[in-house]
Amino acid sequence: MNNAPIIAEQLARHFGDVKAVDGINLTVNQGEIFGFLGPNGAGKSTAVRMLTTLLRPTSGTARVAGYDVVKQADEVRRNIGVALQDAAIDPLMTGYELLELQAVLYGIAATKMKQRANELLERVGLTAAADRRVATYSGGMRRRLDLALSLIHQPAVLFLDEPTTGLDPMSRLTLWEEVRRLNREGTTVMLTTQYLEEADQLADRIAIIDHGKIVREGKPSELKRSVGDPTLLINVSREHSDAARSVLARFGDMRPTAEGTLGVGLRGGAERVAEVVRALDEAKLVVEHLELNQPSLDDVFAEATGYRLEGADNAPQAG
Amino acid sequence: MRRKPADTVRQFVALSRRSTLAIFRQPALVGPSLIFPLFFAALGSSSFSRAISLPGFPKVDSYLQFTLAGTVTQGVLFGSVTGAAALATDIEEGFFDRLLAAPTSRTSILFGRLAGSSLFGALQALIFLLALLPFGVTVQAGLLGYVSIVVAGFITAFAVGALMSVVALKTGSAEAVQGTFPVLFILLFLSSAFFPRETMSGAYRHIADFNPISYMVEGQRSLSIDGVSLVAITQTLVIPAGIAVLTTMLALRQLSVRLAAR
Repeated sequence: MNNAPIIAEQLARHFGDVKAVDGINLTVNQGEIFGFLGPNGAGKSTAVRMLTTLLRPTSGTARVAGYDVVKQADEVRRNIGVALQDAAIDPLMTGYELLELQAVLYGIAATKMKQRANELLERVGLTAAADRRVATYSGGMRRRLDLALSLIHQPAVLFLDEPTTGLDPMSRLTLWEEVRRLNREGTTVMLTTQYLEEADQLADRIAIIDHGKIVREGKPSELKRSVGDPTLLINVSREHSDAARSVLARFGDMRPTAEGTLGVGLRGGAERVAEVVRALDEAKLVVEHLELNQPSLDDVFAEATGYRLEGADNAPQAG
Repeated sequence: MRRKPADTVRQFVALSRRSTLAIFRQPALVGPSLIFPLFFAALGSSSFSRAISLPGFPKVDSYLQFTLAGTVTQGVLFGSVTGAAALATDIEEGFFDRLLAAPTSRTSILFGRLAGSSLFGALQALIFLLALLPFGVTVQAGLLGYVSIVVAGFITAFAVGALMSVVALKTGSAEAVQGTFPVLFILLFLSSAFFPRETMSGAYRHIADFNPISYMVEGQRSLSIDGVSLVAITQTLVIPAGIAVLTTMLALRQLSVRLAAR
């Protein structure tokens, strides 16, 4: 029997005709940081809500920390930590009071409660703010408190739903470091993110989800290698766009890019850049900007879905 | 693994503490439910001072003495919505999910929320009784009467809070809960809270006859004007308790519906 802390088989959740999660299979191994990458509406949060017992699957099964998420929901809850992006922290309570409340919810003995709360406050750097109401906390402080709350019972599996969305770069780095530290201590982490860099930096393995389906899964380095050729990006004036596209298409497959930019997967890599420039010149096309990018997770994403995650606001929504 | 009863009690106590703290940390929420009923009492006292000589009015020294029970009930109705509105806010803003993601007793989530507003209901009743004392407004039933009215404040706030929680659990919207409040206010004015039923006529009288608020208020009024009687104690405590049982059942049912719909 598979003892992995998170296993989902054909897990699906439909809202009417919308297939928010459409039969996903995934296994997260002991001690891994697993990244669930996708744009808003791809199905990440719905999947996490099912895995954390907050939402019943329409079909399929999932086991978390060894327990079935539907039949043994309370056991799952006792063994996981959850920090949800859209679960607000009561602004009227202090950080310490919230930790105390969380300790009671997880059945931690009153004698150990104070020590545990103080340990966690120190860990996330909130000791000085412990007795202040959460309403006075910054976004970064709230996320750190949220993380501390999710760790009160020392869970074996931790779910972080978009842990750094809306945070400034400094707060993001602090949180990343804390997640790495937790992972080094043995906690299995599943995080959802829409940030490529976050997935790349933190995750041992990632799954790309789009329209409720997992379209790629693997180690970030392997996935990037699988894309193969680097992407040559050029900008030309709008009237030259079609002509430039036909020139570029001779050097590889066109790739999805941000509007106003043309991209081609350059067969043969950097050595052929001069050749492309000559071909554009011969076609009397003026290139305003040119750059060569080694494969990134965004290329993996683009190759798998047909659009880019960066600036993915125009991507069709799965719900 | 089943949750131990002691853990459920601890969770209930912790969630009750949270809801109580929340009420007292929002003066803007607490203030109106204390000030408005006293304002209405003062207004009534100056406007209807001569009304007490109308046929049908009980023998009282002042309109303020007559309206004590109405003032207490009005304040408690005002305040009892806060717990349900806070429950709706928890749903709206995701704190409800935070509680559900933990091994929290589901009923503790509801009862913990109601506990805060119920305690506030009892405190409101006590404050109104004390605030009107310097104006010669007393409870003839003595200590038993005072305690009964304070306990009635607790039970009434619980009953109404549970009813409003049905709205909160159904809609998950604090605005919807607040929007339902005027219905309670209308029911209060269509009862004998401010005038005896004997002075009413027509449809107004019929509605007041069927309105349970009339009987709750009349029980408290009898304690304050006439003194101790079994009927008065029963009306003061048993009627809101009966309503509380009914509304709690409705709220628990709605909680199950919400949880099943996930």
